[in-house]
Amino acid sequence: MVPLDFPGGVWKKKGTGKSRKQPKGRQVTDLALQQVTDLLNGRPRNRDLLIEFLHLIQDKYGHLSVDHIAALAHEMRLAQAEVYEVATFYAHFDVVGEDETPPPALTIRVCDSLSCELAGADQLHQALKDGMDSSQVRVLRAPCMGRCDLAPVLELGHNHIDHATPEKVSIAMMADATHAHVPGYQGFDAYVAGGGYAMLKDLREKGDWEEVQETVLASGLRGLGGAGFPSGKKWGFVRANPGPRYLAVNGDEGEPGTFKDRYYLERTPHLFLEGMLIAAWAVDAEKAFIYLRDEYPAVRKILKREIDVLEQAGIAAPGYIDLRRGAGAYICGEESAMIESIEGKRGLPRHRPPFVAQVGIFNHPTLVHNIETLHWVARVMREGPEVLNSVEHNGRKGLRSYSVSGRVKNPGVHLLPAGSTILDIIDACGGMLEGHTFKAYQPGGPSSGLLPASINDVPLDFDTLQPLGTFIGSAAVVILSDQDSAKAAALNMLRFFEDESCGQCTPCRTGCEKAVKLMQADTWDQDLLSDLCQVMGDSSICGLGQAAPNPIRSMMTHFPGEI
Amino acid sequence: MADGAQVNMVTFTLNGEEVTVPEGYSIWEAANGRGLKIPHLCHKPAKGYKPDGNCRACMVEVEGERTLVASCIRPVAQGMVVQTDTDRAKKSRELVVELLAADQPEVKHDASSHFWEMAALNGVTASRFPAKEPEHVPLLDDSHVAMRVNLDACINCNLCVRACRDVQVNDVIGMAGRGATSKVVFDQDDPMGASSCVACGECVQACPTGALMPATVLDENQEGDSKDYDREVKSVCPYCGVGCQISFKVKDDKIKYVEGIDGPANENRLCVKGRFGFDYIHHPHRLTNPLIRRDDAPPKALNVDPADWLTHFRVATWDEALDFAAGGMARLRDEKPTYIAGFGSAKCSNEEAYLFQKLIRQGFGHNNVDHCTRLCHASSVAALLENVGSGAVSATFNEIENADVAIAIGCNPLENHPVAATYFKQFTKRGGKLIVMDPRGHGLKRFASHMLQFKPGADVSMLNAIMHVIVEEELYDRQYIQAMTENWEEMKEHLKGFPPEKMAPVCGIEADVLRDVARTFAGAKAAMIFWGMGVSQHIHGTDNSRCLISLALMCGQVGRPGAGLHPLRGQNNVQGASDAGLIPMFLPDYQTVTDDGVRSAFTEVWQSGDFSNQKGLTVVEIMDAIHAGDIRSMYILGENPAMSDPDADHARDALAKLEHLVVQDIFLTETANYADVILPSSAWYEKSGTVTNTNRQVQMGRPVTPPPGEAKEDWWIEVELARRLGLNWTYTHPSEVFAEMKLNMPSLDNITWERLEKTAVTYPSLGPDDPGQPIVFMDGFPRADGRAKFTPANVLPPDEAPDAEYPFVLITGRQLEHWHTGSMTRRSKVLDAVEPEANCSLHPRSLRELGVEPGDYIRLTTRRGSITVLARADRAVSEGNVFLPFAYVEAAANILTNPALDPYGKIPEFKFSAVRVEQVQDAVAAE
Repeated sequence: MVPLDFPGGVWKKKGTGKSRKQPKGRQVTDLALQQVTDLLNGRPRNRDLLIEFLHLIQDKYGHLSVDHIAALAHEMRLAQAEVYEVATFYAHFDVVGEDETPPPALTIRVCDSLSCELAGADQLHQALKDGMDSSQVRVLRAPCMGRCDLAPVLELGHNHIDHATPEKVSIAMMADATHAHVPGYQGFDAYVAGGGYAMLKDLREKGDWEEVQETVLASGLRGLGGAGFPSGKKWGFVRANPGPRYLAVNGDEGEPGTFKDRYYLERTPHLFLEGMLIAAWAVDAEKAFIYLRDEYPAVRKILKREIDVLEQAGIAAPGYIDLRRGAGAYICGEESAMIESIEGKRGLPRHRPPFVAQVGIFNHPTLVHNIETLHWVARVMREGPEVLNSVEHNGRKGLRSYSVSGRVKNPGVHLLPAGSTILDIIDACGGMLEGHTFKAYQPGGPSSGLLPASINDVPLDFDTLQPLGTFIGSAAVVILSDQDSAKAAALNMLRFFEDESCGQCTPCRTGCEKAVKLMQADTWDQDLLSDLCQVMGDSSICGLGQAAPNPIRSMMTHFPGEI
Repeated sequence: MADGAQVNMVTFTLNGEEVTVPEGYSIWEAANGRGLKIPHLCHKPAKGYKPDGNCRACMVEVEGERTLVASCIRPVAQGMVVQTDTDRAKKSRELVVELLAADQPEVKHDASSHFWEMAALNGVTASRFPAKEPEHVPLLDDSHVAMRVNLDACINCNLCVRACRDVQVNDVIGMAGRGATSKVVFDQDDPMGASSCVACGECVQACPTGALMPATVLDENQEGDSKDYDREVKSVCPYCGVGCQISFKVKDDKIKYVEGIDGPANENRLCVKGRFGFDYIHHPHRLTNPLIRRDDAPPKALNVDPADWLTHFRVATWDEALDFAAGGMARLRDEKPTYIAGFGSAKCSNEEAYLFQKLIRQGFGHNNVDHCTRLCHASSVAALLENVGSGAVSATFNEIENADVAIAIGCNPLENHPVAATYFKQFTKRGGKLIVMDPRGHGLKRFASHMLQFKPGADVSMLNAIMHVIVEEELYDRQYIQAMTENWEEMKEHLKGFPPEKMAPVCGIEADVLRDVARTFAGAKAAMIFWGMGVSQHIHGTDNSRCLISLALMCGQVGRPGAGLHPLRGQNNVQGASDAGLIPMFLPDYQTVTDDGVRSAFTEVWQSGDFSNQKGLTVVEIMDAIHAGDIRSMYILGENPAMSDPDADHARDALAKLEHLVVQDIFLTETANYADVILPSSAWYEKSGTVTNTNRQVQMGRPVTPPPGEAKEDWWIEVELARRLGLNWTYTHPSEVFAEMKLNMPSLDNITWERLEKTAVTYPSLGPDDPGQPIVFMDGFPRADGRAKFTPANVLPPDEAPDAEYPFVLITGRQLEHWHTGSMTRRSKVLDAVEPEANCSLHPRSLRELGVEPGDYIRLTTRRGSITVLARADRAVSEGNVFLPFAYVEAAANILTNPALDPYGKIPEFKFSAVRVEQVQDAVAAE
């Protein structure tokens, strides 16, 4: 039994102390695996549910630990890197490394986008940071929460506090008010009582999708996410491709200053839902995904509840409407990035061609619509195309939901004729705030840059702003006054793009980062910035990077004195 | 593009000229094909890499489009008008590089990097942009012994992610975070050395910036230059049977680093052994002079320090050593020729294998010559010869590209055939169904559509049950069976006795799973079966293979694209050595020694008299014959039976008993401990010769570096010995040997040395220009009537069943970093650092029950012997099993293994021993 007669020929020794005790890499722990399987319960381990599962863990444990990520990867038969890269892409997941301290139970996110910054978000953020015990509460900056008319806002847990002050926060904390509160809205019964879902039923029974498409086209409805593509036209494109087809609703209303989708969802969710089901019917979609930004927890509650009601009412088959939760990434408002995110991946925009109408979710033809667009689809179908095409102003047809914030008396969503000028809008808002003189405005989110007050006679509609090098986009109008710095506003916008760039392509990833550095100089290197703007616009993969230089360009064009 | 498929062409305008290219070509490809170099960073025009279009360094202008277009990812469209040289496009390309250059570190990790080459092409040498804040610049990660990670040079081009994810499918690297702070990570942002990285090095080969580099190229300041070498030599990997082609970069006659090149089997890919395991040839243990055992040496035993052998051996001249070696054998030959036996090697060239068997047969007149194929696939070859008439694979492993279902049974390709495994994993990512059958839930499990973790040794019951379902449900291919096979009725009848419900408790797989697998496999359009030594190394190894062959035959899954039988061969030239006749029952090309006509065909070429018409003894039988006194001398070339034979103590005792042992090797191996004379040979990287991989691809090996000291190429030593044994050998170059081999080896028809100098050729090759046939048996089988045969197999239990005294099942095998008996890999810095000592693996629950902590030492005892070894916790190993790699001399697995043989293949049952597992206190200190 003596294994070796002499040690000489055994030239390798034991006890090196360097041999692993386990296979390579981090192993799954029994505890984490149990916790994760408990949370996942009987859910199918489909790859596209990864972000949903990360939410489950984040919600339960307040963060994502390495062990939980390893366990989730194991359970989903993914590599740890595949889970980790998704988890770290989204701002609302707190990935905590082996030697790191998990965040405290409570997080305050202070909005630092333009309207809130104008309303003193910086000072609010600082005051909260100074006043809070960082071991109990974490105070973070966060991008637009879609409540710009109520600036400054913050989110305490999932409770949004409008016109926020440190005092309001203290009171809410004492009351343990950290959950989203759902506003009153028109429920299913009220909607049906008003004739809701009759049109859908009718169409499903005997409708002709091409006729519906004609009606929608006749109304002049265009994509209200910002691209302005004629809404009905998409249906034909999608239908032209063999099934299965999907509908994806873009509820990632992330363009700072925009809150119209939230506005409608918190009031008349069923108009949107009926519009969605009409569109889904029109393209014969296998399934309708709603991708809702995580900043709208109240809306999520509403939709969840009302989708259940629709299923019970037999209007939607169980599981037909798949409500997906974003996780804090502006880029997922870009339709192909949204599709990636629905598939459970990092939200990287895809290259086009192919277009999502051909190759979308799970590589199948996909119809993508904005929330408000579908709201109008329902109204157009129920009320006729005249609801839009009968309105005419400044030579433009239709209505536009302007999300207005900044230095006006009555900010909010104002449904005005689509040809309204900035002065019409300020009027609708009851004029400028006392002591403020109109100086500049953001016509359609930071992607649109800034226009000076002197350009006040342009109808703010699709196609009308292109000659000025900008666009209406989602109609997120922010009004700046003589007390505001355009340069600071532009920097705020670029900082936002820097934070929200997905990082995929060089011009946007590195371009935004370098632009922010260059824009902090007292005097801008305009030659270099011009070069940079051109290349970002020419060579970025998606609209984020292509439009990100617009604030810089508008500064150089309209506010040269400030730079 | 499949043969005969119609390729549509598209015409577009490129810089004013009309250009026509096949549909699907990108603008970049079309331009590049015309010699127009568009700068590119994230695009790697190599097999397996999809364009990603992220760096935006290859932008061009397309008429009618609002923005510029990334030429690498945009397919050419009919009528498209493309300008590559507009100011706008040029400006974008320049500025993108300038943006990236702003953050490049001062230290050049690779002075000849692709990035700086492209920067120069754009005329960019500096950047006007401010650099990142120092706190955002990643620091050095030197946690891995083989590679250096300097992400300060990273440009987020994503090539390493694609290398790791799409090409090698190891899924270790990810792109984490977002925006300017996004970064390349290993697993969960772990140091590379602590991650699950298997060090295939694909990322290093793909990285365009020097952010990922072979450690051997960088100095301590992290500076290096990938172009700083004296010469580049193209050859073949010396390790497993995949046969990867490698380009060696040599500086000062030492290999500095290597890159995978586009061989038919590897398409630029390598694994850790091929990429980082080359430095054993520079190890100080290399034998540089012939050695003769000293008269005053201690008794023969495993007692020689390979670093300091002067106590046992003395240096001799070649003449003295060759005279001594040949003289000793000649003396015993005069007494009785069968006193001498030989083990050749599957690690040397075809020519050397051929010469070795010729030396034994011509020089000693008998067939007692064998090699390690006996220990790996002898049973597979026996079953294949019996039932399909040929021992080689029916289809290359790359054919999985055309399959929709595949079975991988008793093989762990992620560790043992890592590059082949990349194709298997890619197959699953394309939607292919991979049915994995193995007692261990090894790495392929994550990719499996069906994971059948069956009881060790229960192969036949499981496979018969699957075939039972195929018969019962009439899922078989009636037409194929009728046209191409024989003995079907008997097979059908036999399978009646194996319903899945009855076999489930035997094999441990539930009946409905067996049924599902049967339906999945039988329902495949094209299916392949891969197997390894988990199938072959059993006393029922031949039966296991018979079942696999029958399964494929009854479903008609042989002889078509994407269909076939593929036993994965373990060593770089085990196919070639077997083909060359290094087998006791066969002359080259599996021509039986018992056939007078066959022998005379060879003796005619050899110009010598007849030799024995009796099949010779096999590896294990030779060891027994030594104990019996029937064999007294051996010539062992490049084999290490002191480590590789079952019941190693028994084998070592046999070696000690030999009166005259001639060992030819590059190191003083465990076997050489027992030698009377040691002949120092050149390593694979130091010689010319051809090798044949698992795919039947014959490839040329070339000398990369000169052999150290007096070491000589094996064929030269063989010739010198033959001459001293009185043979008429006059070879002066391996090409002459190859030419002689062709005379009696129809498998080499149309394959010439000159062809092989230029390119690999798969045999059979049907003409001087035919690259060879990846698939055989299209029209029939090389058997009587051209029909394949069904041979029913019965359930035979393993030779020794676990009992109260030995309750665990011991399974031996290999690990990624170590190959064969470790003589080469354990002398490689990288491989040794990653797996530095003997270890075994048990399920964490088994360890808990034994009261053993992972990392503790345990004692493993079988009826043959006992070792102590470090225990790992590994969920892949089933409870009640122990997995033990055999490469480690300090805890040699084969001290424990059972020498019981398969009656047909004469292969020992390495995969099943009953073993006792005990906790030991201070095991290491005690030794």
